[in-house]
Amino acid sequence: MTDDEALMQAIVAGDSRAYEAAIRQHLKSISHFAFRMLGNSKDTEDIAQETFLRLWTHAGTWQREKASVSTWLHRIAHNLCIDYLRKDKSALSSEYEDEHAGTDRPADAPEKAEQLQALQQALEALPERQRSAMVLSHYHGFSNKEIATIMDISVDALESILARARRSLKAQLKH
Amino acid sequence: MNMTPERFAQLVETHGSQPARWPAQERQAAEAWQRDNPAAQALCHEYARLEALLDALPAPVLPGLEQRVLQRAASLASDSLLDQAMDWLLPRGDRLLAWIWRPALVACLPLVCGIYMANFFSFGISGPEVAWEEELALLALNDYAEIAE
Repeated sequence: MTDDEALMQAIVAGDSRAYEAAIRQHLKSISHFAFRMLGNSKDTEDIAQETFLRLWTHAGTWQREKASVSTWLHRIAHNLCIDYLRKDKSALSSEYEDEHAGTDRPADAPEKAEQLQALQQALEALPERQRSAMVLSHYHGFSNKEIATIMDISVDALESILARARRSLKAQLKH
Repeated sequence: MNMTPERFAQLVETHGSQPARWPAQERQAAEAWQRDNPAAQALCHEYARLEALLDALPAPVLPGLEQRVLQRAASLASDSLLDQAMDWLLPRGDRLLAWIWRPALVACLPLVCGIYMANFFSFGISGPEVAWEEELALLALNDYAEIAE
């Protein structure tokens, strides 16, 4: 039996310690993903809470042969983020600058700070599926097959989305 | 597989600038192509710069989030007697049982409510004893009618 199976069996049986262990193991990745998709901490918290609520209530629907627990949780978070963005596009607001206003940056690197800001804006301007694919690929290190599972698309479709996302980001940085 | 400028660009755009992330069956050809082509090196350099900038974007800071999620988890997982009863009534985990049991329960609910309400409110209908007496009286009237004929 794999670690994932043991964990999910314990959660299905109502083991609260296994549930807390799963939260500790996956919360950082899920919340960072949601933040990079939505750009603000309030909605990120809603998505994280809902994702882990579904882990508790729907653990019995997880299938070992289809996805790892991490992939399954990211799929839930991805679907919640897409639903959220489609319901209320105007709510997409970036706290990135506020969050990191106090971050120490070398005084001799204003150009890099501008580049980072431009990149952040370019990332936020990407269509939601391109942004999701890019975030999962670059920051979370998922393979293309895993990302295709998370996004419920074929690997070929995913690779096309990733190529467009990278081309778009590179083009934005040139301006 | 023979490498072409188009295929090399597609590889880098799809998998990034790091050869370790390129598909194993094309990695050797792609690395050789990169070594021999300045244009391929320039393309890789541009995407490597993009990746370095993505890495430099600060990670989100979400103070207290873990504590709040764990608090909610604790409230979910702490079973009261009512929760235990609900767990028994609405089983989690066993999908087959849940799929049969839950619709059956939901389907029975209006029936149970109907029986309870009918029992609680008489809606002007008298009890069975009275009804029986009325029936006897009607039978008696029938008998008189036959005699009259």
